[in-house]
Amino acid sequence: MRAEGAAALVMALPKGRILEEALPLLERAGIRPEPEFAREDSRQLRFATNLPGLVLVRVRSFDVATFVAFDAAQLGIVGSDVLMEFDYPELYAPVDLGIGRCRLSVAEPESLADEDRPERWSHVRIATKYPELTRRHFARRGVQAECIRLSGAVELAPQLGLSQRIVDLVASGATLRANRLAEVETIAEVTARLIVNRAALKTRHAAIQPLIERIREAAHAG
Amino acid sequence: MDRTADPGLLPQGLRDILPPDASFEAAAVERLLAAFAARGYERVKPPLIEFEDGFLKGAGVDVARQTFRLMDPESRRMLALRSDITPQVARIAATRLKNAPRPLRLSYAGQVLQVSGGQLRPERQFGQAGVELIGADGPAADAEMVLLAAEALAELGLPGLAIDLNLPTLVATVARSLGFDDAAVARLRLVLDRKDEAAVRPIAGDRAGVFIALLRAFGPAEEALRRLGDVSLPDGARAELAQLAEAVAQIRRHAPALELTLDPVEHRGFEYQSGISFVLFAPEARGELGRGGRYRTQAGESATGFTLYTDTLLRALPRPAPARRILLPADAGAEEGARLRRQGWVTIAALSDTADPIAEARRLGCSHLLVRGAAEPVETSRKKR
Repeated sequence: MRAEGAAALVMALPKGRILEEALPLLERAGIRPEPEFAREDSRQLRFATNLPGLVLVRVRSFDVATFVAFDAAQLGIVGSDVLMEFDYPELYAPVDLGIGRCRLSVAEPESLADEDRPERWSHVRIATKYPELTRRHFARRGVQAECIRLSGAVELAPQLGLSQRIVDLVASGATLRANRLAEVETIAEVTARLIVNRAALKTRHAAIQPLIERIREAAHAG
Repeated sequence: MDRTADPGLLPQGLRDILPPDASFEAAAVERLLAAFAARGYERVKPPLIEFEDGFLKGAGVDVARQTFRLMDPESRRMLALRSDITPQVARIAATRLKNAPRPLRLSYAGQVLQVSGGQLRPERQFGQAGVELIGADGPAADAEMVLLAAEALAELGLPGLAIDLNLPTLVATVARSLGFDDAAVARLRLVLDRKDEAAVRPIAGDRAGVFIALLRAFGPAEEALRRLGDVSLPDGARAELAQLAEAVAQIRRHAPALELTLDPVEHRGFEYQSGISFVLFAPEARGELGRGGRYRTQAGESATGFTLYTDTLLRALPRPAPARRILLPADAGAEEGARLRRQGWVTIAALSDTADPIAEARRLGCSHLLVRGAAEPVETSRKKR
């Protein structure tokens, strides 16, 4: 039995980077959260919107995919990096929102990058928030990747000798430069996506499809 | 081996099913099989384990990945522990029952074991109950499957059912006629399965339009068919759609109110399907209740069928009212017990006399107690004293 009644749809939004860009986009789609939502320090977890059948929740970006995959939330906004990491079969990603643009890259110390020969690798050790995606990426090239999973401050790993290389999101490259790291390979370009739970789209199509259309139009207009 | 582990611990994905769930499941499965039998689907019972090559012949890659193997010390051949019953029934139809008149209607129920649990269903062992309709082509057979699933589930008391119709061969038919090679078709399928519109264009280039149109056609069946009518498609794909439209019309004739959606690009889990397929959803259950569709048996015969997953199904069904239990004193006659059972009571026989029969009835979960030949509620009989 689902805890959430058939009444309200839940949309999960990620805290941080993407949220700032997502709110104006939702506004253009005619979805406005209650004022409390804007307060970073709010202890409230669920927020009403101007649409009676839609509530918002704010969770960590990796958790957006999990909430939606298990139908705890029916819709969500999440970076394509998270979708590539989890590859949940229960998720649809119908709209590229064109926000939260960055790339997922392999980086290593500048001193190493000069003479490194990536085509000769057979095994690499990599610190990352994305162990699954990293393993798959290197496996396709016949390289075995030993991944050390971190939850943040990945750029510290080479300095402290945890691993020489990292896989992480790169927006401007400023963080990498500050830590004397060089980008050696781009794995994927990343943008935020609207995601929808598969079973929910089939069983509650009449309620969900119009929201998808509104958000699609708002994304293309932006 | 960790010897300090609790003796109750089971391997991941396996569990003991206790009262009252175990009998609830058995009763639900029997009612499903009765619904199938009433429509001419005769029951077969394949073994738990069979030769690996026979089991996997004609089954999808997904089945192979999910199957436990072991070596048979007798024949020294590899055996497969069934991870799906459909391939077994298809094998029976292609071998032992190859001369039975067609269309052949068979039903089955049993437990299967899979190597890993799914995301939504961590269970590695679960029950399957289903039917196969072998040697019948055409939309009438496809419609019979959808209708049978809907009727059997309605008879079981399932509140709310949504059926998503799919045409897993359509994308490949369209893509091949546009000149895509197998690798490109595989990549297209992957992004279409995720409904990832943005990823279609990098793969399909200026031919992306038709795939995006197929993607956006999804919706209530009649509406989706109308939208698909406006998409420019090659003849092969048109023929597949015409067959689907006819099946929808036949389903509607018998079940006008059935909630029926159509998603022409859905392909996940349909690797070995060769035509019209469908997935069953219930708003009350997370994930799929079951799925079915058209395929070819190892003898090349066209067949269709569906399987219900009994663990998910039970989560969507209303719980039955608890049985009425009555405690019989140790000196009660055999005839008294039989009379109560005929009236629908569950009788619990006290094995010895007790000082406080009311407390004893409560302890054993009985709502009633037999006092001088009459059933007395435990609560009121306490007050009387």
